[in-house]
Amino acid sequence: MATRTTVTPGRPRAVDGSMSRLLEAFGHVPVAAVIRRGEDLPRALASQVPAVFFLRAPAFHLGPLVWAVQARAKLAFVHIDLIAGLGKDRAGIAFLARDIGVNGIITSHSGLVAAARAEKVIAVQRLLLHDDLALPSAMSALDHARPDIVEVLPGVIFPLVVNEIRSRLPLPIIVGGFVTEPAHRDAALERGALAVSTSTPELWP
Amino acid sequence: MGVMLPAVRDGASLNQALDLGYRQVLLERGSLLSIVGPLAGAARQGVAIFVNLDAVEGLAPDSAALAFLATDLGFSGVLSVKPHLLQEASRFRLRTIQRIHALDSTGLETGLHSLVSPAPFAIAIAPAVAIPQVMPIIRSITSTPVWGTGFISSAEQAAEALRAGAAVVSSARIEVWRDFSRTPVS
Repeated sequence: MATRTTVTPGRPRAVDGSMSRLLEAFGHVPVAAVIRRGEDLPRALASQVPAVFFLRAPAFHLGPLVWAVQARAKLAFVHIDLIAGLGKDRAGIAFLARDIGVNGIITSHSGLVAAARAEKVIAVQRLLLHDDLALPSAMSALDHARPDIVEVLPGVIFPLVVNEIRSRLPLPIIVGGFVTEPAHRDAALERGALAVSTSTPELWP
Repeated sequence: MGVMLPAVRDGASLNQALDLGYRQVLLERGSLLSIVGPLAGAARQGVAIFVNLDAVEGLAPDSAALAFLATDLGFSGVLSVKPHLLQEASRFRLRTIQRIHALDSTGLETGLHSLVSPAPFAIAIAPAVAIPQVMPIIRSITSTPVWGTGFISSAEQAAEALRAGAAVVSSARIEVWRDFSRTPVS
């Protein structure tokens, strides 16, 4: 695994949790690489994707992975709900933000969005579309939490609800979940998604 | 041929489904206790009633609630994301339908690999609209019958999920219940 090769290995001193850099980068390459297994990381590092999303990484061995991403001038995001070993609470967010220096966190929970914003990292809140009856309450929760970005899953539902979401939530949207073919990516981008998130390496430009 | 399972939430939608001739319904939302009389009456007349234990109000997720559904009300089955609740339900001879969210490949595979013994009667994939896309992943892991719930807003979407291999598809929309019988499922 690639690690930083500076004299004093470690995290960058100033972590960039600013949205402007991310928005500009997605303007050029609108894809985030989702890392499900460590062995997928080198390919993501070598690609042009501006952001890497870590799912299921072990929290207390995450530092070198995050720093390898940042050493390639990419932004590193960690899915706190899925990460092993870390409390899903303010202390867990503070650890990711201060000790590891992630650029952003991903969560389904409104309470963690506020904690992420307090730590000045980018907050990506997942809008999980498994049930149309639950959509209005899920959108109210997001409207109240005000994350920086909404990640809508699964991608196949996005075209069905894009107008409803955009009228309720004036936030940038990343579409993820079973985005496995170029047609899925294009369908999301054509309907106004800021980017797609995908674990399919063939879609990492 | 697949089956449409109307998802009802109150007495009015229950009556609409029954008036259209459906002999099976899913109580997907709302308070079970507020329409327990009509539901029990339908069950006595042979209508198969399924309950989403994760979303209906008024029931605890415990064996007393399951005994009430199975023994007092004569319901047919229950849906839940919780494997242990379904294990308990199988003791009351309820049909057990394991709900699994198909939101991304990581979550779907985790859900499919967490199926426990005794095997559920079926798995319910949510959203059902994703079934055509995810059926290969499902079938690579389990041969359990597949139901679908969520985001079915047209008879064509229901037919697509059934063509992809789902045995049962649920929708909360009366238009879909009406149109469904006119849509041939090949």
